[in-house]
Amino acid sequence: MAANLTHHHTRGCRTTFRQERIERRNFTHSPCSRLCYGHFQLVAASFLTTFFWLGSGSEQTRGVRSVRGDMNIFWISVGSGIAVAAILALSAVAFTLEYAVSRVVNLAHGEILTIGAYAAYVGENNFHQNLYVCAVIATVFGALGAMALNFSLIERFRNQKPLSTLIATLGASLILQNVVLIGFGGASVSYSFAQGSILHVGPFLWTVLTIKVMVSAVVVAVLIYLLLQKTRLGKALRAISQNRELAQVSGIPARLVVMQTWAVAGAISGFAGFLYGETIGTITPTVGNGFLLLSITAAVGGGLGRPYPTLGGAVVLGLVMSIASTYTSSAYQLVIAFGFLVVMLLVKPNGLFVRGRISTVRA
Amino acid sequence: MVQYWTAILTEAAIFGVLALGIDMIWGWAGDFDLSAYAYFALGVYVTMILTIGKPSPPVEYILGWHLPYLLAVLISVVVVVAFASLIGAVALRALREVYFSITTLGAVWAIYYLVENFTPLFNGYNGLSGLVDPMGGGLSYNAYHYLFFGFCLLVLLLAYLVVMRLSRSPFGRMVRAVRDDELAAAVYGRNVFWTKYRTYLTGAALAGLSGSLFAAYIGAFNPLDWRPTEIFVLYAAILVGGRGNPRGVVLGSFIVYVGFVELTRYIPSPSARPELGPALRQILIGLLIILMLKFRPGGLIPERLGTDDSRRRWSTGWLHPRPRASVKIPEASTPLSVESSDS
Amino acid sequence: MTGAALLEIRDISKSFGGVVAVNRCSMTVREGTVVGLIGPNGAGKSSVIDLVTGFEHPDSGSVRFDGTELVGRRPDVISRMGIIRTFQSPREWRDLTVIDNVRIGRSNLARESLFRSLVFARGLRREEAKETGEIRAILKDYRLDDVRNSRAVNLSGGQKRLLEFARIAAARPRLTILDEPMGGVNPVLGERIGEAIRDLKRAGSTVIVVEHNLPFIEKTCDEVVVMDLGSVIAQGAFGDLRDNSRVVDAYLGNDDE
Repeated sequence: MAANLTHHHTRGCRTTFRQERIERRNFTHSPCSRLCYGHFQLVAASFLTTFFWLGSGSEQTRGVRSVRGDMNIFWISVGSGIAVAAILALSAVAFTLEYAVSRVVNLAHGEILTIGAYAAYVGENNFHQNLYVCAVIATVFGALGAMALNFSLIERFRNQKPLSTLIATLGASLILQNVVLIGFGGASVSYSFAQGSILHVGPFLWTVLTIKVMVSAVVVAVLIYLLLQKTRLGKALRAISQNRELAQVSGIPARLVVMQTWAVAGAISGFAGFLYGETIGTITPTVGNGFLLLSITAAVGGGLGRPYPTLGGAVVLGLVMSIASTYTSSAYQLVIAFGFLVVMLLVKPNGLFVRGRISTVRA
Repeated sequence: MVQYWTAILTEAAIFGVLALGIDMIWGWAGDFDLSAYAYFALGVYVTMILTIGKPSPPVEYILGWHLPYLLAVLISVVVVVAFASLIGAVALRALREVYFSITTLGAVWAIYYLVENFTPLFNGYNGLSGLVDPMGGGLSYNAYHYLFFGFCLLVLLLAYLVVMRLSRSPFGRMVRAVRDDELAAAVYGRNVFWTKYRTYLTGAALAGLSGSLFAAYIGAFNPLDWRPTEIFVLYAAILVGGRGNPRGVVLGSFIVYVGFVELTRYIPSPSARPELGPALRQILIGLLIILMLKFRPGGLIPERLGTDDSRRRWSTGWLHPRPRASVKIPEASTPLSVESSDS
Repeated sequence: MTGAALLEIRDISKSFGGVVAVNRCSMTVREGTVVGLIGPNGAGKSSVIDLVTGFEHPDSGSVRFDGTELVGRRPDVISRMGIIRTFQSPREWRDLTVIDNVRIGRSNLARESLFRSLVFARGLRREEAKETGEIRAILKDYRLDDVRNSRAVNLSGGQKRLLEFARIAAARPRLTILDEPMGGVNPVLGERIGEAIRDLKRAGSTVIVVEHNLPFIEKTCDEVVVMDLGSVIAQGAFGDLRDNSRVVDAYLGNDDE
């Protein structure tokens, strides 16, 4: 008895840290918070219904399975996998571009996505803008965020070890995430774009909005390709990613090119954040967090610092996850992604589409 | 007021043990491990399921053996080390630096979502609750807390003495040599993986131990209590105190825990905006990490240098001048250029 | 001069992604000699060192050290058999003091066990204190005694080279493999390094030196092995090789050295 009382009092007298934890539970646990990582299943579910928040994706799927049979749900899953893989590809390429020019594993990358998503949310709700203007707003704010990050942090840690820079970006991620939290609150917010009608495309089921998302992702990917291959910035960028000092003595304004690359990467991230928010319907300040892990996995799996292998890695990861999620609960998405990452790192540490390997104990 | 301070200092002592463990992994061995908070959480969970009774539906968890606390502590440390040995075997074998960090980051989130969603293990999202009483009951409220505080301090002291002893020993020196240049360490006969692995497991054991203490401290534990991002507080503490120096690490965890509690006490946290206080605290942690890294990466008490004195000397940063800078030998002062490599 | 064969390399080959770096390379190093390994850039000298010391594994062939097969063993295992190598640029444990750097060269590994470090800390410290005199004598030898308590990262480039030799002197290996010890070194320090190699020989170590500086090789080595395109093309005393047309071709025909 006495012991029980003690326990009660302990909770009462512990004011600070514990209370925060309890408070955090209250505002982060909404049904929508599960959307952050259960997105694949949910995307699949949202094709079949027009409103956004559903209790649990897996229940929906089970219902569908009994009606349409296993093969159908498989293709629907793959279809949603393609949709998310398209967004993931953009995010991962942005992440890889940042690594290419600055040799930094930017753990604040997820927050740039979040900034893009929230910028679009502000644009949509407060100014009653349409889809395309929101996309532009997200892109601009993503670019500004990434440039600010590069200017205030990455460049200043340039001469330090990669690990120090990684830790610094962790700090930045913490700061940005909580600034968004203070600005918008912890509860999830929703976009209100219409999903449009459901279309059968081959074996897949997609909404009009999803198709728009995928088309725009492909367009952006093509733009990235043109930027890298056909412009002077792309050429300079590739030179710097090989050897910044050498590029600099060859007359390339390295600082400027790096800043421009961060702007481009930020713009892509902001746009990807917007697309992601649009696809899952709701966003929270931690929306970028889970997606960061997927982006890292895609980039490392494909080839860190190399845009095209990264693109391939994202597509493979998206498909692996969507197929796997047909057979397991959506909650295990990240577990699967992590398994994929570990296998990639152990078997092909430099990436699926890159030859060679990381050196540990070797000259 | 005394109760308030006891609570805060107890928490600081518990996290001091955790910080000592994480510092072994990061400060000594140079592996920036992001999954250490999962070891801490596992320590909490295992201690709880071993000491509280059988679950009653709808609550579900494994075991529920109702063991005495100290035995539970022992078992949970063993379980945590066994678990860390799996992750360490994968992550330390061939992955270093940022790749190691990425892997452990992925691991901790994978574990997190697994624990949160797989309810038969630790009751999933809702977590565990129940009393873990290390003193065996029968104490008054205040006496219990003072005694538990004393117990935590004792464990911290023991952990500190062990870690300090290792830090000054040939083992500690070898771990740091492997950190600084593992190729050269291998050339001189050191097994790089095994060195890092042993350090990792020792660090994980300390993390598990601190988790066991925390289990007795909180009484209820669910996934929101161990968001993997919480580990940044520990890294901030290590950075402030002095990476690689046990004395600094303990100092840092007290500074950060007590300092932040005191600071955030005066931040208004209106009931309409419950997230404000924690958010500001996190922002401060982020700023602290960046500023320490940039301007004083060695921390308040930087890592000790092994000298030829039999009494080991401490480099105490600004309290004492650093050891003499190198004395240049005139004929050897030409800067060395590395020739283009061969084959 | 005519000791038994200490290191026997038989027909090792290694290719990296289709490029053949070492092609059926064979050589024998006799105990107590200083052997110079020369050849144009890209001849595969450094690759051979990597293969011998376990940092790379050969596609085929065998490497025997004092009769024991080395192929397939880890670098640290090979090192414990008594082989110490250097790299083209000096490597030091940057945040350890100079004296600790040398101590690690000297230290016996059993002392570094986690258990002994924890339980017998005091005894270990006494053991280490006993060695301090010997360590400091080595440091004095290499003119590092004044800087023994500063971090190794603060040393100048030349001092780092000397630290490497001090470490080897403390380790007392049976076989020392030096990868371009003269790279970027000024003439005065070069003299000291030549002296250090002779010291190693005097202390009973067999030495293999990879070097481009031919006068240095002539002065320091008992025997020279010439490599080109991944295999050994000649082996013998330096004077004999000067007239060997293949050696001259390798140096003048393929490379500007």
